[in-house]
Amino acid sequence: MEAWLFVSPSAVGFLIFFLGPLCAVVYFSMTEWNLLTQQAAFVGLANFEDALLENPDFWHVVRNSVIFALGLVPLNMALALTLALALSRPFFGVVFFRTVFFAPVVTSAIAWAIVWKFLLQGEGGFINQMLAIVGISGPNWLREPNWAMAAVIVTRVIKMVGLNMILYIAALQAIPRDYEAAARLEGASRWQIFRMIIWPLLAPTTLIIMVITTIGSFKVFDHIYQMTGGGPENGTLVLAFYIYQQGFKFFNIGYASALAMIMFVIVMMLTIVQVMLRRKGAE
Amino acid sequence: MKAALAGIAVSALALCALSSQALSQELRMTVWTGSEAHLKMLNGIAESFKTKHPDVTVKFETVPVNDYTQKLTFQVAGGNAPDIAWMMEDAAPAFENAGLLMDIGPTLKAAQGYDFADFSQPAMALWQKGETVYGVPFSTSPFMIYYNKDMFDKAGLEDPLALAAKGEWTMDKFQEVSKELKEANPGKWGFEFKDGEGYASRMTHAFLPPIRAYGGDIWSNGECGFDKPEAVKAIKQLHDMVFKDKSIVPPGEQGDYFSGNSAMTVNQISRASKMAEAGFKWGIAPLPSGPGGEAPVIGQAGLVVFDAGKNKEIAAEFIAHMTDKENVATMAQFFPPARKSVLESDAFINGNKLVPAEMMKGVADAIANGRVHPAHEKAPQILAAMAPRVDALWKADADVDAAIKSICAAIQPQL
Repeated sequence: MEAWLFVSPSAVGFLIFFLGPLCAVVYFSMTEWNLLTQQAAFVGLANFEDALLENPDFWHVVRNSVIFALGLVPLNMALALTLALALSRPFFGVVFFRTVFFAPVVTSAIAWAIVWKFLLQGEGGFINQMLAIVGISGPNWLREPNWAMAAVIVTRVIKMVGLNMILYIAALQAIPRDYEAAARLEGASRWQIFRMIIWPLLAPTTLIIMVITTIGSFKVFDHIYQMTGGGPENGTLVLAFYIYQQGFKFFNIGYASALAMIMFVIVMMLTIVQVMLRRKGAE
Repeated sequence: MKAALAGIAVSALALCALSSQALSQELRMTVWTGSEAHLKMLNGIAESFKTKHPDVTVKFETVPVNDYTQKLTFQVAGGNAPDIAWMMEDAAPAFENAGLLMDIGPTLKAAQGYDFADFSQPAMALWQKGETVYGVPFSTSPFMIYYNKDMFDKAGLEDPLALAAKGEWTMDKFQEVSKELKEANPGKWGFEFKDGEGYASRMTHAFLPPIRAYGGDIWSNGECGFDKPEAVKAIKQLHDMVFKDKSIVPPGEQGDYFSGNSAMTVNQISRASKMAEAGFKWGIAPLPSGPGGEAPVIGQAGLVVFDAGKNKEIAAEFIAHMTDKENVATMAQFFPPARKSVLESDAFINGNKLVPAEMMKGVADAIANGRVHPAHEKAPQILAAMAPRVDALWKADADVDAAIKSICAAIQPQL
């Protein structure tokens, strides 16, 4: 009894705010429920059928999400690793640089997006004015579908890279110095040390980072909401934003729940694949 | 252990009982203004309700305008609907059709000295189905041109108010002065769409005034209007202004009128409260006319009572109080009335603290001649379907005709 009471604060919270809604979403996804009229009808798998087979927007949206993930994950990880390699060893000012790169992580995503939206204005924007100085005529970043996608990816990477950098720094510092010293005695080049020693030893961290970054990239919402609103020409309309639109703009809660379930399955499958690849690589 | 649990349960119950008792005396009303001047006025009206019902207080709850309908819907769905809400015209049909709103007609008509027939019929169109009254228009506010007089003076141009007085304030003149303003004020623009949102959430507000000036509409009677010849002319003119003249703040740029970066914009007179601190000379003029004559656009908001509310009778009485002749006249400085008697009154024209009489006359005329922005039960879906096609239109090298056709193809199934 006492034991249950002790865990009850978090257990009750877990049940009410996590497990409950999670089960509810499964049920909602099989209803046609208009929030305004409060009329809900059980429709079985009709929402899934519509999304997967009939709704042309759905596949466009999935495609956008995949492009976003394919752009964001490698860029984020490469940059995080590079920064971590530069900042893992102590030198004068290292704490300052780590702080600078980590600061965006703790910044409000909406504030971040508003500032970038301002900087990325067409002709009058700071970025384009800087580009003009070196003779480049920059595009109207957030009004051209492809550039808009690139812009949200890059600004998102700059915002989130600090987190992965910290994870990599921690992993790098956990690698015993002896390995590197031994390799150097054997005449290994710096590249060889990285390729043959550091990179394999970072593999568990790399997997974790890859999984959380991929999940995070599928869940991206606030950034899109503020910077592009899914536009232009639906060029940045990603899955999480589309779910929001269906649920909170059109009030089709059933349909939005079905889409959320599909997103859940996609992300879960990607995670399983990544874990399996890692296992295979380790063998 | 048991005693402790029992204690908690009892005090929780007591708390519930206390709070529900306290709530029975309080009406909750959602509004989307956070303006101090607006809220002060509203609280004054709530205070005066106490002469009729000393035990009733009204609490105004500000919900930001961009999420307003969404948050209201969630309050309703969560069983926590406010007693009274301001409702925007674009949300009204959906809420009416969902059967959420109380018929306040009987209460209004029974109120002493109310004179229900005083409300102009066109203004009631959105809020009345046969004998059932779902709401009362609380703000029937025409779109007006706000202009920066200093920028007009700098360019040596007559301002829109003077041009309108001479009958020369037309769409062609609008294009001409916008271009000259742009040239005379480098780095700034001639015109900014409403709230700088003309390429996004207010895209219909950007299109509607010029399209109506040419004699068209964005849609009517379930038929898309964007591809009609009148609308096509209007859209092409706007497109030229954005990309050839470069006189309208283009997509992707910010050129806020209120901070002096655009010489003109479109807005409603509630925004006059913002002009006091603008730091430049300003004025309000009618929308430019066109081949379709003067065709003002009205943005409307109504007051509604939720049918599920516990205090709905008293809430309806508060609406009757808030929209009686005296209070409508009070609110008219920010929220133009739909009552004919107030509209025609001397006080409406001459009594506005922020807007001079010559400009208020234009507001009154626009209310008398204007038509409300088209509403639709599926407004959010229509906007979402339009958005990508409108994005394709707002490009320098766009095929305007094709883009217009695709807008209609996208929204026709929803209409």
